[in-house]
Amino acid sequence: MKVRIKFAKYGAMKYVGHLDLMRYFQKAIRRSDLPIRYSEGFNPHQIMSFAAPLGVGMTSGGEYMDIELTEDVPSADGLRRLQEQMVEGVEILQFRYLPDGAKNAMASVTAAKYEIRWNERDTLPTEQLRREKEAFYDNAAAIPAVKTTKKGERTIDLRPLIREFLIGQEGDGVVCRLTLSAGSADNIKPQFVLDAFFSHLGMDAPACGMKRVDLFTEKDARLLSLGEIGNDR
Amino acid sequence: MRKLALSDEILMRIDKPARYIGNEWNMVKKDPSKAAIRFAMCFPDVYEIGMSHLGIQILYEMFNRRDDVYCERVYSPWPDLHALMKEKHIPLFALESQDAVKEFDFLGITLQYEMCYTNILQVLDLSQIPIWQKDRGSSDPLVIGGGPCAYNPEPIADFFDLFYIGEGEVSYPALFTLYRTMKDSRTYDRAAFLREASKIPGIYVPSLYDVAYHNDGTIRSMRPKYEDVPAVIRRQVLISMDKGPYPARPLVPFVQATQDRVVLEIQRGCIRGCRFCQAGMIYRPTREKSPELLKKTAAQMLRSTGQDEISLSSLSSSDYSSLKELLTFLIEECRGKGVNISLPSLRIDAFSLDVMGKVQDVRKSSLTFAPEAGSQRLRDVINKGLTEEDILGGAGMAFAGGWNKVKLYFMLGLPTETEEDMRAIPILANEIAAKYYDIPKDRRQGRCQITISTSFFVPKPFTPFQWAPMYAPQEYLRRAAIVNETTQQQLNRKSLRYHWHEADITVLEGLLARGDRRVSKAIFRAYEKGQIFDAWSDFFDMDRWAEALKETGISLDFYAYRQRSADEILPWDFIDTGVSRTFLRREWERARAGEVTPNCRKQCSGCGAASFGGGVCHEGKD
Repeated sequence: MKVRIKFAKYGAMKYVGHLDLMRYFQKAIRRSDLPIRYSEGFNPHQIMSFAAPLGVGMTSGGEYMDIELTEDVPSADGLRRLQEQMVEGVEILQFRYLPDGAKNAMASVTAAKYEIRWNERDTLPTEQLRREKEAFYDNAAAIPAVKTTKKGERTIDLRPLIREFLIGQEGDGVVCRLTLSAGSADNIKPQFVLDAFFSHLGMDAPACGMKRVDLFTEKDARLLSLGEIGNDR
Repeated sequence: MRKLALSDEILMRIDKPARYIGNEWNMVKKDPSKAAIRFAMCFPDVYEIGMSHLGIQILYEMFNRRDDVYCERVYSPWPDLHALMKEKHIPLFALESQDAVKEFDFLGITLQYEMCYTNILQVLDLSQIPIWQKDRGSSDPLVIGGGPCAYNPEPIADFFDLFYIGEGEVSYPALFTLYRTMKDSRTYDRAAFLREASKIPGIYVPSLYDVAYHNDGTIRSMRPKYEDVPAVIRRQVLISMDKGPYPARPLVPFVQATQDRVVLEIQRGCIRGCRFCQAGMIYRPTREKSPELLKKTAAQMLRSTGQDEISLSSLSSSDYSSLKELLTFLIEECRGKGVNISLPSLRIDAFSLDVMGKVQDVRKSSLTFAPEAGSQRLRDVINKGLTEEDILGGAGMAFAGGWNKVKLYFMLGLPTETEEDMRAIPILANEIAAKYYDIPKDRRQGRCQITISTSFFVPKPFTPFQWAPMYAPQEYLRRAAIVNETTQQQLNRKSLRYHWHEADITVLEGLLARGDRRVSKAIFRAYEKGQIFDAWSDFFDMDRWAEALKETGISLDFYAYRQRSADEILPWDFIDTGVSRTFLRREWERARAGEVTPNCRKQCSGCGAASFGGGVCHEGKD
């Protein structure tokens, strides 16, 4: 049986990279004594896969990891047993059984939602930013941007990859909400969008705090959180 | 939420920021304001190396069991962060509380290898603690060193307030009690504390001694400045290994440590008595832990960490008397749980091959032999009791069992080494390969792979070779060239690979290992010139070191290349390790005569370690 675990990552843990986090979870699961399934072979490893690596420096409210169990554990027990093995900065939010034939987390991700915050005095007044954003995004047919890859430079159109781009204010901070294409087909990083926007304004992107709010899959032409799939048992 | 000492801006600019955040599973959390003693425990190398060290984990456990002590960890910031901390004047901090080290009561530094000496200065400098002991005041932490290099602390003596000579389990309680008593009664003052501390067994306070020199540069005398300060410091030994503290909940790092596994120390000391080996002399007598305790702690540690590998730690594990019982238990315990067992330093025989076949993937793993010298003559000189029959017999059995990779470790530049001894190295490797090709073609897996590695011999204090001269780098390289050339002449040369160690770094290690107090200024100068992480070949720079030596008048001829005479006062002679100088001298003479000394279980050679009243010296004599 497959279980999807949703967790949050915050505080100092944002500096723990993806590979290190995987190793952290392998050990945590071993300590929790959950009946995880191991692969065959001389060096068996836990059957475990993550939805999408989170960049170093970013916090998250919606990370996903799928595991396989050899026997049923009630969701509340599973969640508690895993939570007991967490350090400060990782919180287990859900422990849900996936329906038979459900796509794994990594294959199902199509979009990611981000919250990016910076100090208003580091850029332009929020109102002005919002108007600039409208010109840059809402009213633009295409947003050409140069992407540098190992194979060289190529120009891509950002417009269809940005599903939502909002700018708002909280106190003296600017909050930017981005929903971007993610996953194996069309993946775009929030920093790249931010850089493109600010370079359009002729300035450098500000130092900011980035949070990935959640990951989504597409169902009936609308976005569905990965956490909404499956059920507690 | 925990605060971090470094800003987001800095953490995002450096490599592997998780090295600096602490927060690992099993990290000890205490309220620092409630700890009477704050102890910063430092391994002066990068996090991944330092976190792999067992000794610190033992002391971390032992200190933190006390309510009045909060022991935290510190490692060397990598050069990228080093530069930023210097530029922005950010003080070095401990991982647990993220508080500045300069606010602590003690800074303990473990001395595991000589090439980390510039990193000690880095740690002091970044901590904003005066580098020279004489410049420190009462508000600065007390800087204490310990570990194997403390058996000749003299080259770094002027940077330390105290050294702990021996195994930390024994005298730290007395040191902490003294500190608390003086602090609580408001009689603490740095000088008064150091004076009192010097009377605690195993504690050496270098500033309380005067050293005088002869005109030829050798030591004339080393004397305490005051009558109540002991002239000789006796090594502290934990006699009953089962009574020592053991980390039942070892830290589990996020960043992958060099040793990403549970480490089970099964014994201390070694019965073999190899004459080049410092560990084999300074950890005498051999003391074992009981298999009952080990089984219990192994299971506990695996449970509390979730690690998927356990490694046995000891010198010469095959000599542990209950090895069979312990390994049988571990194999049973780990089977089906995806837990690997790693087995270092096992003698290759039918038993160990059987065990290895059970716990390793035979096709992928390699066998390791450390004959150390190529010829039987030279192996007798160094008292390495491994014979050609042992090696060829072991390799033959292993090849028959499916292995086809062998690693061989040797040293070049050992006392009395001749060209014939050098040539014997590839000849032995060739014979091992030949053994493989004796197996019919249809029963072997392609070609075998024999890797020969040579390091250059470094004489160490408290070994029978402590008087021996070293050679200049070009002479070491000439010897390596002879081995290389002979390797190319072997019939099975296509199955042989040869690697040799760097010669410059070896010579410098030799100088630091046997230096005296005057060497400290060269270390300081090298640091001023920007040297840190000398143990890393990417950062070691012989040209800068050569300048530092020249500018401070420290000569390799005197410290490294010179034959020391039998009556010379050696810088470390004030330490009593329990192994007598007479024994070491006798062993030196026997080495030169090519005479082998039996191991401690076969026959006692009267080294002096029996005076500790336990271990192998008193086995079966209740």
